Amino acid sequence: MNSTIELLAPRYDIAWYPWAVQYFFMIALSYATLWLAAPALVFGKQKWLPTARLALLACLATTLVAPVALLADLHQPLRFWHFYAYANSHSWMSVGSLILPLYVVGVIVLAWLAWRPALQANRQAPGIAGFIARWLSLGDSPTPRALLVLVGLCTLALSTGIMLYTGAEVAIVKARPLWNTVWLPPMFVATGFIAAAGLILVLNPVTGERSTVVSGQMLKVMLGACLVAGLVAGSWFLDGINADVGSVAAAMQSVRGSAEWRSTALWGGLTGLALFGAVLYLLSRPAPRRPALYAWTWVLGLVALHVGWMFRWVVLMDVQTVARHSAGFHHYGIPAGSSGILGIVGTFGLWLAAILLIDLFVPWRQARQGGSAADLSPVTPAPAHPAAQSAAENSEGTPSHG
Amino acid sequence: MDPIRRSLLGQLARLSAGAALVPLSSVANAGINQQPPRREGDPTKRYGMLIDLRQCIGCQACTVSCHIENAAPLGSFRTTVAQYEVEHQETGEVATFMLPRLCNHCENPPCVPVCPVEATFQRQDGIVVVDSDRCVGCAYCVNACPYDARFINERTQTADKCTFCAHRLEAGLLPACVESCVGGARIIGDMRDPESQISRMIAEHGDALMVLQPEKNTMPQVFYLGMDERFVTRPQAEPVALDVLDPHGKEMGYEFHH
Repeated sequence: MNSTIELLAPRYDIAWYPWAVQYFFMIALSYATLWLAAPALVFGKQKWLPTARLALLACLATTLVAPVALLADLHQPLRFWHFYAYANSHSWMSVGSLILPLYVVGVIVLAWLAWRPALQANRQAPGIAGFIARWLSLGDSPTPRALLVLVGLCTLALSTGIMLYTGAEVAIVKARPLWNTVWLPPMFVATGFIAAAGLILVLNPVTGERSTVVSGQMLKVMLGACLVAGLVAGSWFLDGINADVGSVAAAMQSVRGSAEWRSTALWGGLTGLALFGAVLYLLSRPAPRRPALYAWTWVLGLVALHVGWMFRWVVLMDVQTVARHSAGFHHYGIPAGSSGILGIVGTFGLWLAAILLIDLFVPWRQARQGGSAADLSPVTPAPAHPAAQSAAENSEGTPSHG
Repeated sequence: MDPIRRSLLGQLARLSAGAALVPLSSVANAGINQQPPRREGDPTKRYGMLIDLRQCIGCQACTVSCHIENAAPLGSFRTTVAQYEVEHQETGEVATFMLPRLCNHCENPPCVPVCPVEATFQRQDGIVVVDSDRCVGCAYCVNACPYDARFINERTQTADKCTFCAHRLEAGLLPACVESCVGGARIIGDMRDPESQISRMIAEHGDALMVLQPEKNTMPQVFYLGMDERFVTRPQAEPVALDVLDPHGKEMGYEFHH
């Protein structure tokens, strides 16, 4: 065996910037929150309505911001129309560029349909809120439930297209063995659901909803997503240590002996395990103790968001620093400007702005499964089913929003 | 790891949930990620390059002449010569290994199908080029190339790469790197012409020729003669160059670890 020293090789810069991480993170939150809103909005499960309201708020805000981050990752953003003028059906990115706008429109229409009865109820409100409600609600006609279900089903179908293309786009890249695995797309989806459940756990107290039902449901979703993520990561690992050839083995070989990668793997594994353990602990507590404990689930929500974001950072940024045909690892320091820190902070700032604007002008707390403004009227006697009742209660707490 | 444990773990891997996903990967790769049709260029030719490493002295004349000919920005290279110091652990004997690298103009180029706007394409003579007026700078091709042959040109903000100096070939000239090579190590030519020097050398050396990362199934068309097979894939070498920064964080140069 000889020892070899690399004397001279160029430094290769990374090609995808943190914008890519922001896009993958936002779009994963978007499709996962859409699926968390679906049980109530599309499939009519009343028990999920409080979750659906928070999920729809999160879904619309992330859906609006994600394409901005994607556009920013292009080195020639003003040429985005080339995607449509010269579409290439051989490229997953091109396929994605056709699905994404349809999906964004689908989410916007779905949110509009779900919020329309509440907007109609606000038409007489004074000031700008009433103006926006009159302008956005487009007339007094009732919102057919069937239309909401139809749009919901179409958007859910498009969201699976987003899951597929974002995963496949990265997983087909043979040049990077750490990407080139069939396990990557399901891992993106699983960590996306972990982060989305986490986001709702954070939004639940922040928006003042503080619903124990929502916390319980999100903990269960997180438990399932953690299990799937653990299974996927474990299978990938077993695949790798069992094969001498193949991309997983090559991937592990490419980072073997790197202290940074070992600590990254350890950190990811331990955080995932801790999250899973904490969720399991909370779900197994006796019912009377839950409300007090569930008040703290927003902490778990932050950990879950960290897991979802860091997974994308490691996959998209750190993997680009693994040299492909030279020795060792390339150095990458996050620049301060728009291709680095400013871009990351800016995306989150834009997201915050989107969520605040929606909160200011849209009565999202009264989102419902179609119907008309009359269904929301507080003068009607107490409705029979609990979800509609909670809608009526919420409407009393929302004058500040219109 | 002993074989019994290995097969037990293998069974576990197979039992785990996602085995059903495996067929999906073939759809992702084959169905969508196929080569689009080639366009432009002379269909009667197929350009390739043979690099005779026995003649390479690592002078970087190719690196410099390419840099000047193609006006690449500082720090980005369409071709370069990587250099390694190899020490025999028993005898302590030291040798230098030179590895000129450039675009391999693969027969199955992984950078071409990924392009979302078909800005990068393969000509009928095999040369892979980029239409920089169409390129959106998504950098997907830069990530898809296993050979680090592509980069984003910081001046044009589009993908940039070796074109075998197609503009010079069309004018009847040799590529800048070939023209400037002091040892005559780089041989370019039409591999469809049995009388060309490259065709004769391929016929003569046949099995002795090697390409980079053949396991990626890209079918590179840059062939190395006198190659050490340890450098065919990512070299198991120790990187030694460290950046030396001035007090303002600007790079001043390199220094070695040892």
